[in-house]
Order: sequence, then C-alpha cells, then structure tokens
Amino acid sequence: MTASKLISGAIALAALAGLPPLLDAGWQNAMNTMLIASLYALAFNLLAGQAGLLSFGHAAYFGVGSFAALHLMLATEDGLAFPTPLLPLAGAAAGLLAGLVAGWFSTMRSGVYFALVTLAIAELFHSFAPHLKALFGGESGISGMRMPWAGFTFGSTLEVYYLTLAWVLVCGALLWAYTRTPFGRLTLAIRDNEQRVRFMGYDAHVTKTVIFAVSAMFTGVAGALQAVSNETANYVVFGAHVSSQVVLYAYVGGATLFFGPVFGAVAFTFFAFLVSDLTRSWLFYQGLIFVLVMLYAPTGIGGALTDYLRNRRTRPAAPMVLAMVGGVATACGVVFVTEALSVLFGLDYAALRRGSEGLPDFSLFGLTWAPLSPLTWALPAVLLGAGIAALRYGTARLAGPTEGASAAGANEGVTT
Amino acid sequence: MNKTLTTTALASLMTLGAQTGALTAEPLKIGIIESLSGAQTSTGRLYASGIHYGVERINAAGGFNGEPIEVVEYDNAGGATEAADKFRQAAADGVHIVIQGSSSAIAGQITADVRKHNLRNPGEEILYMNLGAEAMELTGDKCHFYHFRFTTTAPMRVNALTAAMAEAGELGGKVYAMNQNYSWGQDMEAAIKAAADQGGYEVVDAVLHDVNKIQDFAPFVARIKAAEPDTVITGNWSNDLLLLMKATGDAGLDVRFGTTYLDQPGNISNAGDTALGHYIANGYVNVPEVSEFAEAFKSESGDYPVFVEPQGAFALGALDEALKTLDFGGGEVDVTQVALALEGASYESPVGTITVRPEDHQTIRPVVVSKVVEGAAFPVDGTDMGFELIKIVPAEDAIYPVQDSCDMQRPG
Repeated sequence: MTASKLISGAIALAALAGLPPLLDAGWQNAMNTMLIASLYALAFNLLAGQAGLLSFGHAAYFGVGSFAALHLMLATEDGLAFPTPLLPLAGAAAGLLAGLVAGWFSTMRSGVYFALVTLAIAELFHSFAPHLKALFGGESGISGMRMPWAGFTFGSTLEVYYLTLAWVLVCGALLWAYTRTPFGRLTLAIRDNEQRVRFMGYDAHVTKTVIFAVSAMFTGVAGALQAVSNETANYVVFGAHVSSQVVLYAYVGGATLFFGPVFGAVAFTFFAFLVSDLTRSWLFYQGLIFVLVMLYAPTGIGGALTDYLRNRRTRPAAPMVLAMVGGVATACGVVFVTEALSVLFGLDYAALRRGSEGLPDFSLFGLTWAPLSPLTWALPAVLLGAGIAALRYGTARLAGPTEGASAAGANEGVTT
Repeated sequence: MNKTLTTTALASLMTLGAQTGALTAEPLKIGIIESLSGAQTSTGRLYASGIHYGVERINAAGGFNGEPIEVVEYDNAGGATEAADKFRQAAADGVHIVIQGSSSAIAGQITADVRKHNLRNPGEEILYMNLGAEAMELTGDKCHFYHFRFTTTAPMRVNALTAAMAEAGELGGKVYAMNQNYSWGQDMEAAIKAAADQGGYEVVDAVLHDVNKIQDFAPFVARIKAAEPDTVITGNWSNDLLLLMKATGDAGLDVRFGTTYLDQPGNISNAGDTALGHYIANGYVNVPEVSEFAEAFKSESGDYPVFVEPQGAFALGALDEALKTLDFGGGEVDVTQVALALEGASYESPVGTITVRPEDHQTIRPVVVSKVVEGAAFPVDGTDMGFELIKIVPAEDAIYPVQDSCDMQRPG
C-alpha cells in the first residue's frame, strides 16, 4: 500500500514537472491555475476539514495575499532588491496577520455563527476595497510586473508555472507535516470534541485562532501566487464566489481526506478550462456535478476513489463497467436535452423563428434536428432511460446484497 | 478549441484549396473575451453579436489578407481572474486582436495583460479594442499604445446631455447628481460638477451610493425632494437605475432624469410610464433618422440593434477602414501596423464620424441625446414607448482634453 502510494506520488510529480513543456501556453496556464486552486483548497481544508470550522470568507485572505504580493512586486519594479521567486512570502505574512486578527474574532463562536462572521469579514474587505484606491487600485485594480531575477525573466507562462509548482509542493509538504505534529492532532481533536480539548487544559480559543491563522497564511500564499501569475488584482478577488469556490473544491474533492480537496480543485479548474468555451451552460453542469457528488458520494471524489482502490479486488468488474457505461449514457442524454433547450430558447433561434413559419429546424452537434419530431427527443429519452437503468442495476450489483440500502447510489463512495 | 473556430477553420481550408499559391496567408484572428455566463451575460452577449455583425460585413466584402477574419469567443464568466486566464488562452491560440466591453474591472485586467504581453513578445503584439469600459484611468494612468477605446466616457456623455437638455429647455438651473460609488459613478459625478458652469446650472446635491445593493431608494428620493432639483443626472445602470426611477414614481416626485443606460433592454418596460420624458446620452439609438443601419442589422441578425450592439458594429467598421489601408500581401499580420492604421482611420458611422485620438486612443465620436416618448417609431421592450432623437452632439463638441496622466510609449 505504501509502496503503491509512493509510486503514484512519484508518477504525479514526474507528470507535473515534465508535462508542461510539451503543452501549449493555454494548457500550461490551466495547469498553473490548477496548482494555485489546489493549494488554496488544501489551506482551506486545514480549517474546514481538519478543524471542523467551515469558513465562508476565505476570499479575504486570498485577496490580502494577492495585494500584498502585488505591492511588493511594485516595490521591486521601483528598484527594491527583492528576489521575484520569494514574492509569495509577502502573501504569507499578510495572510498570517489578517488571519490572526480575523481568527481571533470569528473563532469566538462556532458552527453557523462562525461561518457568518467569516462571511462578514470577507464582505467587509469586498465593500471597502473599491474605496481605498491607493491600496487596492479602485475598480480596475493595481498592476505590477515580474522583474527578472538570477537569469530568469519570468516572462513566459512556463517559468511562472515552475515557480508556482515549487511553492505549491513546499506548502503542500508543510501542510502535510503539520498534520503529523501534536498540534495537528490537536486540530483534529478540536473538530471531534472541543469540550474535551478544553478539559485537557488547552485554551480552545487560542488554539482555533492559531489554526485559523495558519490556514489564512497558506491561503495568502495561494493568493500571492495568483497575483504573481496574473500580475494584477482588483477588489473582485474579495468577492463571494472566490470564497464559495474553495468550499466546492474541498467538499467535491473530499474534505475528510488530506489530499481530497486537490481532486476537487483539479476537477473544477480543468472542467472550467475545457468546457467554458464549448457551451454557455457550463455553470449548470458544474452545479449538477456538485449536487450529484454530494448526493451519491458524500466523501467526495477523493473518498470515492480511495474506496474503489481499497476494494477493487473484491469488486466484480462487470457491474462496474455497466454502471460506467450507464453513467456516460445518462450524461450524454442530459447534455443533449440541456443544449437543445438552450438553443431552442436562445436569441438566435428566436430570430430564426420570426423569419420563418412554424418551428424551423435547429442544428446541434453538427446535425440538424426538427424540434417537433418525436425522433429528436427519442434519442435523449433512450439515452436517459437506458443509462439510468444500467446505472442503477450496476451500482446495486456493486453494492452487493448486504449494502443494498445504497442501491440508488451512483457511486460506491457512500460506504466508508 | 471551439465550434466557431472549427467551422471557420474548415471554411478557410476550403477557400485555401480553391485558391492555389496563397498557402502562407495568415487570417486575422479576433478573440472576444466577454461575459458570456454569469450576471453580466445579457450585456456580454450583445457586445458579441455586434462584433459578429461587423466581422460578417468585412468577410462578405472579401475578408482581409486574402482570408476571412476568424472570431473565437472566450467566456470570462464576469471575473477578472478568468479574463486573465482567457487572455493567455487567446494569446496561445495566436489571436491578433482581443475585444471586450462589459466591465471596467475586466478591462483593467485585460489592458494590463496586453501591455505586458507586448513588452515580452516583440513582433507578436496583440491589440485590444475596448468597446465599453468607460473608467477614465483606462485612457489615463493605464493608457498604452495597443489599447483603443471605442466608446464614450463620462465627460462626453455629461457634456452632451446637459448641452442638449439645456437647448431643449428641459435642464433647468438645479441639477442633482446621483451615482454609484465606484470609478464610473465617481467619474460621472466629477463630470457633472465640471460641466456646471458651461451648462449654466448649479449642482444642488451629489450622492454616491452602493452599487447594486440598495433595494429601496425611498430615502434617496426624500433627499432629492428636499433639494428641489429640476433634473437628476445619473450614471446608474441595471437595477440601480430601475429602482431609483420606480421609487421616484412611487413618491410622486415630478423630476426629469438625465441618464446614460436607460436603453438597456428591459429598463423601459420595467419602469413603465415613469420613464416617459427622461433623457439619455449614448452612442446610438434606434430612430428613423439613422434607420438604414438598423434595417441592415436586422436583415443580418434578425433583430434591430439594441443597447451596446452598435458599439461592436461601429468598432469593427473602424477596423475595416483601417484594414483597407493595409496590404500584407497574404503574409503575416503585423499588429503594430494595424494599430497605426486604426489611429489614422476615420469611420462614417450612421450617427457621424468616429476617429481615434492618437494621444490616448480615445475615440472622438458624436454623442446621441434622445428622450423617451410614447408612440415611438422603434418601440422597445414590447411597449409602445421608445426613443426620440433630440440632438446628435458633434464629436468635437463632446470631446474632452487628453488626461495628463496618459504617457504613451509609441513603437519604434
């Protein structure tokens, strides 16, 4: 088990280091985005998954890190001798500082109240930032430039990618090491039973403040890496969607596992990269995936994957294949219906309809379809019907007679 | 990467097959980095449709460099970070021109990205056509050679609006400035105050309020009432404009509005009779006087042009004029040459001549002032209301001096 983990880790590292030079700049940038999102999700999960403190305002520390790095970048542009690769240190410092202050206030309460306080702090930044023009640059933000250092120009996406990779690996390793320390154990204890932690003589409030600050610090590094990559930031980085995005990463990926959130970050960033220019409905699909994962794989993609790997020898292969084929067919059916509806209710089709009598044919996936023909709708109906049936049958067989309760589950992840 | 790209690629392959010997011809590639999902979709979509109309006109006349112009759409989902990602994707796809319009925040990101890309990749420059981001700093502090703004700005709109309203005898001597508290609203307020002497009015009060957060404008209406203005000038858009007008109507306050975004689809139908008699200053409005363009647009796209669609069409018209002066002989496209040609281009738009000011790349263009009336020739939003042309303020009367903060480095 450990050996296979080592091997898969080595393969992942080799791919991360060796693949990008073979890809075009768009893909390099997508991988860069993925790395930043992964670090952001790992830092967030220290608080949410390990300490059980669900923050809805991590954009505040991400943004603070971004702006700190940018201001330092501007200072190096003006002649300050500071090595460009160390710019994220500014993000770490700013995140730590902001996290200490914000953490002290927000960890006075727990549960929903904690979440609301973190949300309020992020909103505070979001509404103040546009007015503090010197600090946050108003609506169009502030913009710096990466200065060359030690022979590196940091001009190409590839150089930025390797800089990000180094930082994400170091920070990821530090976060992993953190979980192995006694304080890391204490973090888990806070989640499981705060009362007992207090009875053991620890000051729970101080402990939670420190955990919050550490999480904010690494979030600040992620924000700084984004600033180094984009060379600009504006107040929008404090927006609610930056906060909610990381919650999605962590829970879709699997908040109970250390590396779970990385799966979520990878899935979401690549999904956005690949699908956002293909269809206008990509946010709908993203939401659908989130709902399905939450319903059928509560431990997230990471949880489902580990569960599958753990039990793969005892699981029969045929139902697995059947369930996968069913899943793909269902997905195709959903995509067909969604895309057809978005065409039929779109502006272009409305214009087409005004120009002709009745309901004109529409084109989709390179083919022409008649909107009123039963044949058009028979295709998705068959795909959905057969797909869902195969999915249900396959997963029921997979779960086996003893675990029939989760027969409807599209994923075996429900069994931990 | 994209369906549009694939079809255009296929089309250009076929034309390539037809004309032998032109195998090295590089098509001009345009990337639209616009809000095609998220809250700003309705506006982003309209910019894109205006651009497509303009491109189709150029391609129908034979394209450029022996090839049809290719257009690729990139969805920035309304975010600056996403826009930065899409810009890098566009650069990797070999785009020559990026076009965007629906947010100054995103424009700030893209213009900075373009500037740095051009510094780092000499010979592979990218040109940025900004269709609608009106923040003054884009042609001020952030101005650079490869950024061109094909829209009005706050001073242009306010100068034209106050001049035309005063001429029509509907401005009055007391003006109330009501704006959103961010760069656009602040620019508007500054412009309203700056135009006071020339327009012969007094600013009785000025308010900046939160953007898209206020549900009830009644307290603001009470303040307006107390100040007893003749006219309220506002740069508000979307919900903020609508709710403000509704609250005014509900309070029975009889005050005229001078606006800048009243033509956004849905505004008139939502406001109802409250909208009647209000003014707007913008770059185009559907009226019989300029209907030739409207009919051409309709026969192409199925609908009369609305809101920001003409901005896209006019900007592409100016690009067309610039491209006509260039000949790369079927070789590589030199973006710096395109930029220089765009500086010198003069486009006869349906509302008047549009030129580019070389010092800061702001377009010098006429501003259209119109008024909401009943029984308009081009009714909007399914109502019987629409716009009536009051005055087309000539470009030279609407323009303002170049900002001192613009320090443009020119190539060569």
